Amino acid sequence: MKFIKITKTKAYFSRFQTKFRRRREGKTDYYARKRLILQDKNKYDTPKYRFVVRFSNRKITCQIISSRINGDLVFCAAYSTELPKYGIKLGLTNYAAAYATGLLCARRVLVKLGMDKMFEGVKEPNGEEYHPEELENRRPFKCILDVGLARTTTGAKIFGAMKGACDGGLNIPHSTKRFPGYKEDNYDPQVHRSYIFGQNVADYMTYLQENDEAKYQRQFSRYIKEGIKAEDLEEIYTKAHAAIRADPVHKPKEKDPNLKPKSYKKQRLTLEQRKQRVLDKIEEARKKYQENQDNDDDDNDDDDDNDDDDDN
Amino acid sequence: MPNSKGYRKGTRSKFSRAFREHGPLGLSTYLRTFRMGDYVDIKVNSSIHKGMPHHFYHGRTGKVFDVTPRALGVIVNKRVRNRIIPKRIHVRIEHVQKSKCRDDFLERLHKTSFLKNQAHKLKVELKEAEENKNNEKIEEIKKQQEEMKKSFRALKRLPQQPKSGFLVEVDKTAETPIQTLKPLKFIPHF
Repeated sequence: MKFIKITKTKAYFSRFQTKFRRRREGKTDYYARKRLILQDKNKYDTPKYRFVVRFSNRKITCQIISSRINGDLVFCAAYSTELPKYGIKLGLTNYAAAYATGLLCARRVLVKLGMDKMFEGVKEPNGEEYHPEELENRRPFKCILDVGLARTTTGAKIFGAMKGACDGGLNIPHSTKRFPGYKEDNYDPQVHRSYIFGQNVADYMTYLQENDEAKYQRQFSRYIKEGIKAEDLEEIYTKAHAAIRADPVHKPKEKDPNLKPKSYKKQRLTLEQRKQRVLDKIEEARKKYQENQDNDDDDNDDDDDNDDDDDN
Repeated sequence: MPNSKGYRKGTRSKFSRAFREHGPLGLSTYLRTFRMGDYVDIKVNSSIHKGMPHHFYHGRTGKVFDVTPRALGVIVNKRVRNRIIPKRIHVRIEHVQKSKCRDDFLERLHKTSFLKNQAHKLKVELKEAEENKNNEKIEEIKKQQEEMKKSFRALKRLPQQPKSGFLVEVDKTAETPIQTLKPLKFIPHF
């Protein structure tokens, strides 16, 4: 055996200082978090809200969160898995879905605060830069975008969610620099608008239909199954925006009081079960040995003498 | 060679971070709110270089007189020769902790004021009952008052009292239950 010098000695472990748990899990950027949470001390207990956008492989989460020492409080949340209710059944992680989820979250918050009539936002999205205006006696709900660990490139979907929230009436300070359609110091709202209505997806659909039918079938099989064509997408999203504005309130699912949540706990064996398991294993081994012996018997008769040396 | 007068002189251990507590701070330090009049302990966190007070103030407790976006103004007493100066320093939040020095007092204060309130209420009720000549109620209230008086005696904080008397158990079955020890006779061996 090669000689390997152990670097992780007992001393290493006893001196090791672990990073924060969420840093170890790779989920939180504490450098950013500190700066997002920190409220001026001369504002005392005034909560500082962040508009948190997180993408998973299958869904988008938009939440409005304020921080407390005991833990963060989620004031309001919207998930892209709710979009089927508003007519968006597929493509729940694309740019248009991000926009819709952001919009849903924003409208929900405003309804919750009773401010939904005051801050309508942009009813027909056109991709143009929009910041809600202050009213005489009310300022728009302010929150700051919390991107998490996402890479803030131009055209990223996080900003789609943010745009949805801004158009919904929230005041999230931003500039157009990272929106799709920003190119060489010029912002083209039309490009952004096309993304908001899923035209990037639609264009790809038409492109594949013309050039590579097989791939089209594979890539958009579920769209085909639902009967959604490239031309339909814009309408779907327009209708969804309207539906969201009409009824953003979250209705919690009816919980069946008799239904116990599925327990993923690994059930430990009792003593009797363990003993039985041992006996079963012995029995199995014995059977297998017998089989092997029988097979050997059939093959060569000389080995009869060895049968006496049995187990037990 | 005289002592050097560097600002952080003599802070090698005072300002060193604790074992396995290096690196960035947990965020609860940043989420605490302070109000003017709060008592705070100053405990320097040497990983945060901004807003660090002079090492004299490390371990002192003072009262908050000012709250700024990232720091607190604290009044700390400093003895300079023949007088004590109430010094006003501004310290960043990371170097400050809420003091528990007032907690004990405030707890006691709330308790006594609550009981005082109760007693006053009873007094008022008693007066009312006497006016209405409700004898049952009067007796009831007087009983409650007696109970309260008992608890009042326990309110005052007493210094540690001398130990009360106790009985020493003697094993009567032993050969010599009580042994009397006497000094041995002094035999000079010189």
